Amino acid sequence: MSEVGKRESFTVPIGPQHPALKEPEHFLISVDGEIVTDATVRLGYAHRGIEKAVESRTWVQSLYMLERICGICSHIHAMAYCLGVEQLAGVEVPPRAQAIRVLVAELERIHSHLLWFGVAAHEAGFDTLFMYTWRDREKVMDLLEGFSGNRVNYSVNVLGGVKFDIDDTQEIAIREAISFLEERTHHYLDVVTQDAMFLQRTRGIGVMTRSQAEVLGTVGPTARASNVYREIRVEAPYAAYDKYPVKIILDSRGDLEARFVVRLTELFESYRVILEILETLPDGDLTTRIPRRIKAGETVSRVEAPRGELFYFIKSNGSDTPERIRARTPTICNMMSVVKLLVGHQLADVPMILAGVDPCFSCNDRMVVLNRGRKMEQLFTWEALRQYGIDYYQRHSA
Amino acid sequence: MESTTISDILLSLIALLIFPGGLFLLFVGLAYEWIDRKLLARMQNRVGPRWFQPWADIIKLLAKEEVVPDAVDARLFIGLPIIALAGVLTAAIYIPFPGLPPVGSFPGDLIVTIFLLSLLTICLGLAGANTLDRFSLMGATRALTQLFAYEAPFLLALLGPAFVAGSWEINEIIGYTDGHWLIITQPFGFIVAVIGLIGKLEIPPLDAPEAETEIVAGALTEYSGRGLALFRLGKGVALVLGLALIAAFYLGGVATPLLFLAKTLALLLVIVGIHALFTRLRIDQTVGLWWRYGTLLVLVQWLGIIIWQGVMI
Amino acid sequence: MKLGTMLGDIVLSLFSRPSTELYPFERSETPQRLRGLLIWHPEECIGCGLCAKDCPAGALDLIVLDKEAKKYQLRYNLDRCTFCAQCVYSCRQGCLEMSNEKWELAALDRSAFEIVFGHCLDNG
Repeated sequence: MSEVGKRESFTVPIGPQHPALKEPEHFLISVDGEIVTDATVRLGYAHRGIEKAVESRTWVQSLYMLERICGICSHIHAMAYCLGVEQLAGVEVPPRAQAIRVLVAELERIHSHLLWFGVAAHEAGFDTLFMYTWRDREKVMDLLEGFSGNRVNYSVNVLGGVKFDIDDTQEIAIREAISFLEERTHHYLDVVTQDAMFLQRTRGIGVMTRSQAEVLGTVGPTARASNVYREIRVEAPYAAYDKYPVKIILDSRGDLEARFVVRLTELFESYRVILEILETLPDGDLTTRIPRRIKAGETVSRVEAPRGELFYFIKSNGSDTPERIRARTPTICNMMSVVKLLVGHQLADVPMILAGVDPCFSCNDRMVVLNRGRKMEQLFTWEALRQYGIDYYQRHSA
Repeated sequence: MESTTISDILLSLIALLIFPGGLFLLFVGLAYEWIDRKLLARMQNRVGPRWFQPWADIIKLLAKEEVVPDAVDARLFIGLPIIALAGVLTAAIYIPFPGLPPVGSFPGDLIVTIFLLSLLTICLGLAGANTLDRFSLMGATRALTQLFAYEAPFLLALLGPAFVAGSWEINEIIGYTDGHWLIITQPFGFIVAVIGLIGKLEIPPLDAPEAETEIVAGALTEYSGRGLALFRLGKGVALVLGLALIAAFYLGGVATPLLFLAKTLALLLVIVGIHALFTRLRIDQTVGLWWRYGTLLVLVQWLGIIIWQGVMI
Repeated sequence: MKLGTMLGDIVLSLFSRPSTELYPFERSETPQRLRGLLIWHPEECIGCGLCAKDCPAGALDLIVLDKEAKKYQLRYNLDRCTFCAQCVYSCRQGCLEMSNEKWELAALDRSAFEIVFGHCLDNG
């Protein structure tokens, strides 16, 4: 309840356990009747300490740890890491490997967007669309399983190239699946832009103007749906994107419907790029030798994850373990826009707006150290943290 | 007045508790819930539950501990599900279920039946308002709001056939509609009745009061064990009785059990189709939409009936 | 603006088989590259230990029984394995592969998860 004198509003906690969230985070929504008056977010429920763990693993082992930051964007994390380390070591990856990396990245983008589409439909209460999109997503997962051996966490990347190659059976399977999915995506685009009841839940809701999007620092399809020109594959092409360019998809409306349309239209671009890669795959090796000890230095690698710009800072001190790896994931940029947009909407729009930015909470939980000019940073050692927990619960138990 | 004998009392008790009300009605309610879930699953290209799933759910719920939360009126908490189920089971006395004439009837029992059917929603709202949980409170508010918006058109739509039959007693109304397919002469009334039923039973797309992704389970969030089982049974029974009423009034009467089965299942197919086709609406959209269009449609229908009666007679 | 755009899909699904695979009664064929259980062929092994060094989960342990006679044992902790196939890639002799048939690996007892390949101490 708020202070005396103000109109009474109460707080509805969305999370950490809530059917609207696929992963735990805590949103405190203050409502007055059905209208949201205030929203705050508290993150950190899925923090696993991966960035600390890679400081004591070799370069080869760190690849797999970083891949498991997220389940849906695992390949792109591994790719960002590999691109950064190869840059530090000064090796040139063969073009066939880069093309295969881009192929799997686009397949992963398709997988992620279809998954997101089903989840967003489920949040709207449209379970039928949820079931159908996830049925179609199985085609992509079967493709990825046939290519790499696993449905998520494909582990296609190795430092210096890729592990698996495309042969004829893979190619035939990919072409068949892509033509099926293209037809279905046209149907889904039709549903999203024409279905009268679905539009009642998405049109004009969660509108973010272009200046708001730029000030809040949004990235990815959320920003592109508000007409912000931000797409790493176009602005700073990496891997094989200079040979297989991608067209940027922008939409000027900035509401939920625009975000749906942008992501579905990006699927068409992915289909086109995949078919183009299959036509003109360059011959060559799959990997190149990379030393076990990487030269000292710092580097930055930016890639376009399905959710937005993924930014890796990698620092090496010349040994065979990394010194510091920092992953800045796109969801943490988009999270503030959610909190800002929620105020003024109805409670029923809260899960929709949250789903509209395509949150990936596992990627989300990184640690930020705020050093506001104080002399000492407040960092806990393992022992101090353990003691703090024991003291806290002893003080607060009944 | 003839005196009531022991056998009369016994027959009434059997009718109320075992057949055709009571236990038989509970079984049929669960069977209809299974058909509902199976049809929905097949429409979504999945397999769906096996035939004994709703029974298994209820048995499991009855076997679990009922957790009574703090700061709740315990008697209300435990008593409301019982009152809700009792209300809908009593309504079965006056409804031609399953294809046999109603067990009891008196003039004006149409209004009593509709009230008993809406007792379920009122108990749901009270149950939600009883707890301190935010989600239950919001669910209760939405349930009661939706009650106001959907009860009035539903009642008016059922009064259409009552008007042309010239009586407020269900037994006499179905005597008139048997053979007369009122869906042809009162189409708007039929549409309003079906959509009103969907709103009363909180079936998607009108299930804002128990929107899973927004307010967990609405008014039923705090319920577990026996209370939840009784509410679910009540909803299943309300579905059957609502379908029976609409089939009896608009689809030409339910003279035999076979006709009852066929017509109510056809109506159920339509309702499940609507469930699968549309997305959930927000509470302001459900209420706003229906308060305007529903009432408008049913008033147009009434105008048509009155003019027709005036012209004919 | 249309009402009920999914009607075509719904009606089609009512008259066709559901797309669910009724596992375990129906099993579809596993793809050839599936990364299932690890299998070690000890004939080519030279004892470099790169597989154990590179494993991100610490699931492999190479035990040297007799260096000249090339007798090694590989202890494989199945419950730590993440099935990433880095060991398969690291091994230059091609001793390791991941099965595409054995992937139903649940067990009721922890002892099933520690697999020891290779030679025993006394016989060859």
